[in-house]
Amino acid sequence: MKRQEIFTRVSSIFREVLEDDSLNINEKDGADDIDDWDSLTHIMLIVETEKEFKIRFISSEISNWNNIGDMITAIEDKL
Amino acid sequence: MISKFNLEDSFEQEFKISEDLVEGFTKLSGDKNPLHVNDIIAIDKGFKSKVIQGNLQNCFISYFIGECLPVKDVMILYQDINFKKPLYLYDVLFLKVKIIGIYESVGLIEFNFKFINQLDEVISNGKIKIKLTI
Repeated sequence: MKRQEIFTRVSSIFREVLEDDSLNINEKDGADDIDDWDSLTHIMLIVETEKEFKIRFISSEISNWNNIGDMITAIEDKL
Repeated sequence: MISKFNLEDSFEQEFKISEDLVEGFTKLSGDKNPLHVNDIIAIDKGFKSKVIQGNLQNCFISYFIGECLPVKDVMILYQDINFKKPLYLYDVLFLKVKIIGIYESVGLIEFNFKFINQLDEVISNGKIKIKLTI
């Protein structure tokens, strides 16, 4: 799966979890850059990502993510 | 801690809809809608007697998550419930819960649940997501 396709699907997950159809994310965005991306929604973002791509992370794999780009790279590595 | 849970693990808990319980919930919630407290009105609307507040079942979910799981270090993140049939005084409910998802990365466990009465009717069903707090 190409990185752009992963990004598109991740964007949809963010819109759904954060309940904002107009949300536009980019790979450099982190939690401080997106309204409502807090500790609880972070959990739901990870869970919905694991469901969407049928992958599983472990806690140590996600602890070093700084932005959405790191998240997409981690997804790429799993596929 | 999350290793104490396995996909498709199931749990059961019984609850009796007693007068004390209903009285306590009515007082706590303040919901004294005639359908819940007046047999004549409830029967007039087609029920066999007054209908107990369905959200009492959410209290049972709270009890189940807080007290009946293998670990106490949990918090509820999400809960939904679909009410399928009316709940009546003196019903006996059997809560049946099954694990449908385990997400080690964030310490989240997802459950499906249903409440079944003594007649084997599904009174409600729904989903719960909890987070381990350790």
